[in-house]
Amino acid sequence: MLRRHQPPDPDAFRAEVLTFLEPLYGTAMRLTRNRADAEDLVQDTLVKAFRFSDRFAAGTNLRAWLYTILHNTWRNRRRDEARGNVDVDSDRVEQAAAGPYSATTGDTPERILMRSTLDADLQAALDALPDAFRQAVWLRDVEEFSYAEIAGMLDIPIGTVMSRISRGRRLLFERLNPERGTAPLHAGSGG
Amino acid sequence: MSECRRTVERLAPWAEDSLPASERAEVDRHLSACPPCRIAADSERAGRQILRACADRLRNEPLPPGLRTRCEALAREQVRPARPGWLRALAPVTIIAILLVFTASTLFSLATRRSDALLAAQLTADHVKCFTMFDSAGAPPVDARVTERQLSDSYGWNVRVPPSAPQAGVQLVGARRCLYADGSIPHVMYHVNGEQVSLFMLEGVERPPADVALLGHRSQIWSSGGTTYVLVSSASAGNTAAIANYMRYVMQDAH
Repeated sequence: MLRRHQPPDPDAFRAEVLTFLEPLYGTAMRLTRNRADAEDLVQDTLVKAFRFSDRFAAGTNLRAWLYTILHNTWRNRRRDEARGNVDVDSDRVEQAAAGPYSATTGDTPERILMRSTLDADLQAALDALPDAFRQAVWLRDVEEFSYAEIAGMLDIPIGTVMSRISRGRRLLFERLNPERGTAPLHAGSGG
Repeated sequence: MSECRRTVERLAPWAEDSLPASERAEVDRHLSACPPCRIAADSERAGRQILRACADRLRNEPLPPGLRTRCEALAREQVRPARPGWLRALAPVTIIAILLVFTASTLFSLATRRSDALLAAQLTADHVKCFTMFDSAGAPPVDARVTERQLSDSYGWNVRVPPSAPQAGVQLVGARRCLYADGSIPHVMYHVNGEQVSLFMLEGVERPPADVALLGHRSQIWSSGGTTYVLVSSASAGNTAAIANYMRYVMQDAH
């Protein structure tokens, strides 16, 4: 459904879009995991934002709108390249995300957190997450978008957003602390 | 639904301390009685805390050189058609700046039209830049139809992209948008028997055919159907001409 919006002032709009360049590039780097593709993705996003500026409702959340374009552009590109996220919800990925964790270590998460985590390690751990979990956890914990905004950007239900965030966080923590060992998927059984 | 599953489904807001008090008490009660869920919950909270602690640094990834300049150029290109009264709203200094830019770009365009060498030099520079920055060795060939759709969706260009021709060693590796003179043009990139080859398209421009050797590259220039094509390659003169012939053949076939 296309609504008529008050068109934003073009100069102010362009200037404001450019203020989001760094965070858009940071997100593009986490999506594409390489600089050339990230630069391309950011430029494509801006071209679309400028071209379709009349679809943006002045006074609403420009940042969320730009991130939606960024993710749509990335999704379309992935689909076109025929290596899209078809197996994102496959059993294999779900199992990978559900485990590993262990009750056997004496190290508490808080104590581990106090150890300095190198950004490079963190970035590597983030980049190693399955795409679907990385996107969700990044948008929530780094970019601080709401569940509803993320659901709109990724075009998935809110329940799926929450479960991907959850799994992404756990998997990330476990990637950063491999010595914590493994345990089978727990959440789906017993209780 | 099992209590474990109900708990795990609420861990995302639980780890953010955003669950309503009653639900939070329910989750906490289960966590104190179920060690595996407790560990999952602690891992989740720790993952969130690590990301929150590093969010500012992660978010502000330094921009690579040139990206801001290119994006600012994109913003300038997207100037909307003038609205009534816009001249009155412009300060005189802005008008002078616009006139200067207009004059400079017009002179540049005229000079480009006159000089094959200038055209070849600019596009050779773009060829080298794009292959340096965006060519990933060993990347799979790209489908020409997909590339055409991307150029159309992203930039509104309706152009014919010559496809890969494996028997001739021609592999389409991608297409980009290059800033050129006072606008932007499609730049299609190929690998041809190990050589990097670019095909640039200048729509609405006709010029006589030319073959220019410059900066260690050859540029074959020809026009067809109201568009000028420039093929840039570091291959030998003979090979460049052969590749240009293939491109020309495919283009004519399209008409």
